[in-house]
Amino acid sequence: MIISDSKLILEIKNLHARIEDKPILKGVNLQVKEGEIHALMGRNGSGKSTLAKILAGHPSYKITEGQITFQDKNLLTLEPEERARMGIFLGFQYPVEIPGVSNLEFLRVATNTRRSARQQEELDTFEFEDFVHSKLEVVQMDPVFLERSINEGFSGGEKKRNEILQMALLEPIISILDETDSGLDIDALRIVASGVNQLSSPQTATLLITHYQRLLNEITPDFVHVMADGEIQRTGGSELALELEKSGYEWIDRAVKVGESE
Amino acid sequence: MSNQNSIGEIVSKPYKYGFVTDIETEKFSKGINEEVIRLISEKKKEPKFLLDFRLRAYKQWSKMNEPNWAELGYPKINYQDIIYYAAPKKSEKKSSLDEVDPKLLETFEKLGIPLSEQKRLSNVAVDAVFDSVSIATTYQEKLAEHGVIFCSISEAVIKYPDLIEKYLGSVVPINDNFFAALNSAVFSDGSFVFIPKGIECPMELSSYFRINSGDTGQFERTLIVAEEASSVSYLEGCTAPMFDTNTLHAAVVELITLDDASIKYSTVQNWYSGNEEGIGGIYNFVTKRGHCRGKRSKISWSQVETGSAITWKYPSCILQGKESIGEFYSVALTNNYQKADTGTKMIHIGENTRSTIVSKGISAGRSSNSYRGLVQMGPNSKGSKNYSQCDSMLIGDQASANTYPYIRSQQPQSSIEHEASTCRISEEQLFYLQSRGIGFEEAVSMMVSGFCRDVFNELPMEFAAEADKLLALKLEGSVG
Amino acid sequence: MLNSNEWLTSLPDPKGKLKEVQVRGRKSLPNIDSPSKKNEIWRLTNLDRLKAIFDLPIAFKGSESEENRAEYWPDSPEPVFRISLDPNEDSIESIKLPEGIRLLNNNEIEQILGHVVNRCECNNNWLVTINKASSYHLLALKIQGRSIPPLEIIMPSYRGRLSSTRVLIILEENTELDLLQVFLGTNNSAHSNITEIHLDQEAKLNHGVIADGDGSSSLMGQILVEQKTRSEYYLTNVLKGLFLGRLEPYVVQSDGKAKTSLRGLQISNKLEQIGTYSNIRFDGPEGDLDQLQKAVATDSSHCVFNGQIIVPRHAQRTNASQLSRNLLLSSRARIDTKPELAIVADDVRCTHGATVSQLQDEELFYMRSRGISIKESMQMLLKGYCEDVLSSLPLKAKRWFEIDQLITSSKEST
Repeated sequence: MIISDSKLILEIKNLHARIEDKPILKGVNLQVKEGEIHALMGRNGSGKSTLAKILAGHPSYKITEGQITFQDKNLLTLEPEERARMGIFLGFQYPVEIPGVSNLEFLRVATNTRRSARQQEELDTFEFEDFVHSKLEVVQMDPVFLERSINEGFSGGEKKRNEILQMALLEPIISILDETDSGLDIDALRIVASGVNQLSSPQTATLLITHYQRLLNEITPDFVHVMADGEIQRTGGSELALELEKSGYEWIDRAVKVGESE
Repeated sequence: MSNQNSIGEIVSKPYKYGFVTDIETEKFSKGINEEVIRLISEKKKEPKFLLDFRLRAYKQWSKMNEPNWAELGYPKINYQDIIYYAAPKKSEKKSSLDEVDPKLLETFEKLGIPLSEQKRLSNVAVDAVFDSVSIATTYQEKLAEHGVIFCSISEAVIKYPDLIEKYLGSVVPINDNFFAALNSAVFSDGSFVFIPKGIECPMELSSYFRINSGDTGQFERTLIVAEEASSVSYLEGCTAPMFDTNTLHAAVVELITLDDASIKYSTVQNWYSGNEEGIGGIYNFVTKRGHCRGKRSKISWSQVETGSAITWKYPSCILQGKESIGEFYSVALTNNYQKADTGTKMIHIGENTRSTIVSKGISAGRSSNSYRGLVQMGPNSKGSKNYSQCDSMLIGDQASANTYPYIRSQQPQSSIEHEASTCRISEEQLFYLQSRGIGFEEAVSMMVSGFCRDVFNELPMEFAAEADKLLALKLEGSVG
Repeated sequence: MLNSNEWLTSLPDPKGKLKEVQVRGRKSLPNIDSPSKKNEIWRLTNLDRLKAIFDLPIAFKGSESEENRAEYWPDSPEPVFRISLDPNEDSIESIKLPEGIRLLNNNEIEQILGHVVNRCECNNNWLVTINKASSYHLLALKIQGRSIPPLEIIMPSYRGRLSSTRVLIILEENTELDLLQVFLGTNNSAHSNITEIHLDQEAKLNHGVIADGDGSSSLMGQILVEQKTRSEYYLTNVLKGLFLGRLEPYVVQSDGKAKTSLRGLQISNKLEQIGTYSNIRFDGPEGDLDQLQKAVATDSSHCVFNGQIIVPRHAQRTNASQLSRNLLLSSRARIDTKPELAIVADDVRCTHGATVSQLQDEELFYMRSRGISIKESMQMLLKGYCEDVLSSLPLKAKRWFEIDQLITSSKEST
C-alpha cells in the first residue's frame, strides 16, 4: 500500500556492480518506502537476481559505483549477517541444501540472532518450538520438515515454503523475494502468496522479483519496475505488468537499443 | 555361444602394421657407454652444448635405478643388448622428397601416411621418423612463411641451437626419471616445433614414428614451444613391425606455452603389442610433460593408446601461469597380455588454474590397464579447480582394471573433484541394440565407441575418425 | 628408522597368555621391512613420530592412568556391558559376563587367534608384528545369540606409555551385536592394537570405534575382519586429537555375498597427523560395500586416506562404492587422499569418488543471510558435515565427546 509521508526504508542510487570482470548492474536507482510492495520484472540476465544478492551482501559481487542506504545506514559496508539482523531478508531463488544441519536448529539460531538484535528475549528450545509451530500455518508446512536437514530432499515447493517460514520467523523490514514463484504449481503459488500477504504490514516493505504476471495476480504491487541491461528502464503501477504480459519484453529491448545508439 | 565369450574373441585382431621394410640400415653395435654417446653426437654434427647435455644425462642415468613401482612386471631389460642408433643408409636428409629412398616412401604410404607431393595430406604437415632419424618433413616452406619452425630435432640443433639450448630439458630435467635420463643421453631424432608470438599455426602438424629394426631402441625427443598468444595442434602416430623380441621405446616430449598460448597434443599410439601369448611387442616408457609458463596459457593432451606390450606414460601439466589450463583426455585399450599404466599429473602452482581429466580404460583378454594420476594443489594455487573422471570397462573375466588417483591439496580455496566407475558392457544395452537389428559385433563396437565418446570429441577431426577406426579394428573379428 | 633389535631388547620378557605370540612376533620382526618413505604405505607418515611411539615404555600393571579412570567415563543412557582392557583391572577372567558372551579358553585361543590376521594377509604387516611382539593384554570373546546387550570395550591410556593390546571377537551364526570400542588418549600416551573379528554366516555387527585423544596421544590400530556369507558388518570410526593416528581397517569377505559398510571421520587440528588405510577384499561373488570416508583438516594438520578395494576374478557381481570427502580449512593444513581400485572381475559395479574443498560458499552465504555469524555458520556447517558419520555410531557414542569441540579451530574465514 502507498502511504503518504511514510518513511523511506531502502534507497539505491546509481548502483554499478560486476562479477569477476563482467559488469552486471549499470546504474540502478530505486526507492522503497514503508508499506509498499514493489515488483521487479525483466528477462533472464537483466540483473534482477544480482540486485537481490547484492542487497543481501553476497561476496561474489563487486560494487564499482553508487550506494545503498537502508534506514539511513550505508548498507555496503555491512556483512550479510549484519544486514539480516537489521531486517533485510532475501528469499532465495534456489535455496541451497545443507545436509547434516538440522533445519529446526538453523531456524532457532537465526530467529534468536534477529531477536537479540531487536532487543527481544531469545527463545529457549521449547519456546521456539511453540513459536515455529504457530508460524507453520502461515505457509501450511508439515512439521516433519523441521526434523530434516536444511532443504535436503525438499521439493521445489517445500523449499519455497521453508523460505517464507524463515521470513515469518525473522520478521524482516524488507523482504526481497527472488523468483519465489518459479517452479511452483498453482496451489503452492497461492500458499506462498498468501503467506507473503499475511506477513506484509504498514511498517514493512516487499520487493518481488519475478518473470511473470501470475504471482502479481495474487500479490498486487504498488510499483512495477522493468529491468533490462543492468538498469531499471521503466517504472509504473500494476498496469505495467499487465502490459508486459500482453506485449512481451521486446519493446523494452528496443528502448535499450535506442539508448545505446544515442 | 554366450555374449561374454564372443566379446572376448572379437577384441583379438591381427596387427596390420607388422611388416618389416627391407632396407639397408646403418647400425651402431649394441651397448651404451660414453663412446657411443660421443659417436651419436658426432654422427649428427652436434654443437658442444648438446654433447655435454648428453654426457651429463648419461652420468646421471648410470647412477639411477630402473623404477619398479608401477608393478608392470616385465623381465629385466639388458641395456647393453640394445642398439642405440639405426638409420637407413644414405640417411643424409634430402632436400627434396624425390631423393628419399622409394622404399621408405612406400613404407609410410602403407602406413597411411603418404609423403609425396601428389598424395600428401592436405593441411597436415608431417615429420616422418624411421628408426632413429627423420626422413622427411612436408610443408616446411609454407610454414616458414608464417615464421613457424617445424623440422626434425637434429635439424633444429644445427639451425636453431639457441632455441634448443634454451628450452631442451627445461620441462623434463635430464635426471627426471630413469627413462628420461636415458633418452637425454641417447636421443636420436624427433620433432621440433616453434610457433612465434601471435601466430596461429595455419595447419595441423604431425609426426609419424616408425620402428623398423627389431633390436634397436627408439629414443625420440619432441620439443614444442608456443610463444605469447600463439597456438598449434600437433598429432603423433606410432607403429612398429612384429618381432618376437621386445623393443624399447623411451621418448621424451616437452611442451612450453607462454602467455595466452595454447598447444593441443594428440597421440594415437599403435606400436606392436605382442602376440596372443604376450611374446614380443614394444616397451613404451614415455615421459611427456607440458609447462604452462604463461598466464592464461593452455596445454591439452589427448591420447588413444591401443598398442605396445607395456605402456608407462603420464602426460602431465605444470600449471604455473595464473589462470592457465591443463587437460588430459585418454582412451587406453589393452588386450591379450598387454599392460598399460597411464594417467596424468596436474600440478597446480599458479592462482585460478584449471584442469580437467577424462580417462577411459578398456581391458580385455588377460591384460591389465591402470589409471594412475596425481592432482596436486600447491600452497599458492588459490581459486584453482580440478575435475577428473576415470571410467573403466572390463571385457572378459581375466582382464584387470586398476585405478590409483592420488590427490593432494594444500590450498583450502581450491577444489578437487574426482569420479570414477567400473562397469562392463551391459547385456540389456546389447540386447536393445541387437533387437533393433544391429549385429552383435557392431553393437559392441558402438558401445565401446560410445564409452570413449567424451575423449574422441577432443581429438582433431582427422584423428577422431582414425581413432574410431582403430578401436573398431581392434574389436573386429568373427562372432562365434 | 626404528632399530628393531634395540626395541626388542627393551621389552619385558615374554609372559602370560600371549607368550608364544610374543616369541614369534619378536622372531619375525627383524625380517620385516621397517617403515620408510620409499614404501608407498608409509610415504605420507611422519616417521619421527612413529619412532617416538616406540621409544615409549610398555604399559603394565601399576602404570599411571589417572586421567581416564572409570569415574570420568560417560554413562550410557541404555544398559551397556562395559569391559575395560586395563592391566590394572582385576583379571578379565573374573568378570561375570552376560548370557551369550563367554571368554575363549586357552585351547581355543591357540587355535583361533591370528586366523583373521592370516585371512587379511597381514602377517607381514609391520604394525601387526610390532603388536604381536609386545601385547600382553588380550580380550577374546565368543558371542552367540540375538539379544546380547550392547558391549563397550574401553582401552584406557597411560601417561607416557605404549599400551599394546589385542582383541578377538567371534560372532557365531545368526548373532547380532552392537559394539563400541573407545581408545582414550592423554599425555603422550600411545596405543598399539589389533582387533580381530570373525563374523559367521548371517551374523551382524554394528561396530563403533572412537579414538579420542588430547592432541599428544597416538594410535596405531588394525581392525581385521573376516565375513562369512550373508553377514553384515557396519564400522563407524571417529579419529580425533591424535598426534599420530593410523587406523587400518581390513575386511575380507571370504565367500562373498556379505554386506560391508564403512563410515570414517577423521578430524585433525593443530599439528596432528591422522590417517585411515582401509583394505577391502572380495574373495567371493556378490559382495556389497558402501564406504564413506570424511576428513577435516585445520591449522597445520594433515589428513590421509588410502582406500584399497580388491575385486579378484571370482568376485563377480560385486557392488562397491567408495566416497572420500575432505574439507581443507587452513592453508597450512594438507590433505592426501588416494583411492586404489584393483578389479579383475568383469561383471561388477564399482564407483568411487573424491573431493577436496573448503566449506561451500553458497551454504555459508545462505546461513549468514539469515543473520547467523560467520563463526557460528561455519560451526553449524562443520557439525552438519560430520553428522552423517557420527549419527551412525552405535551405543549413542556421541556422549564420548563434545561435538562442538570436535573442531578446535576453524578461524580462517573464507
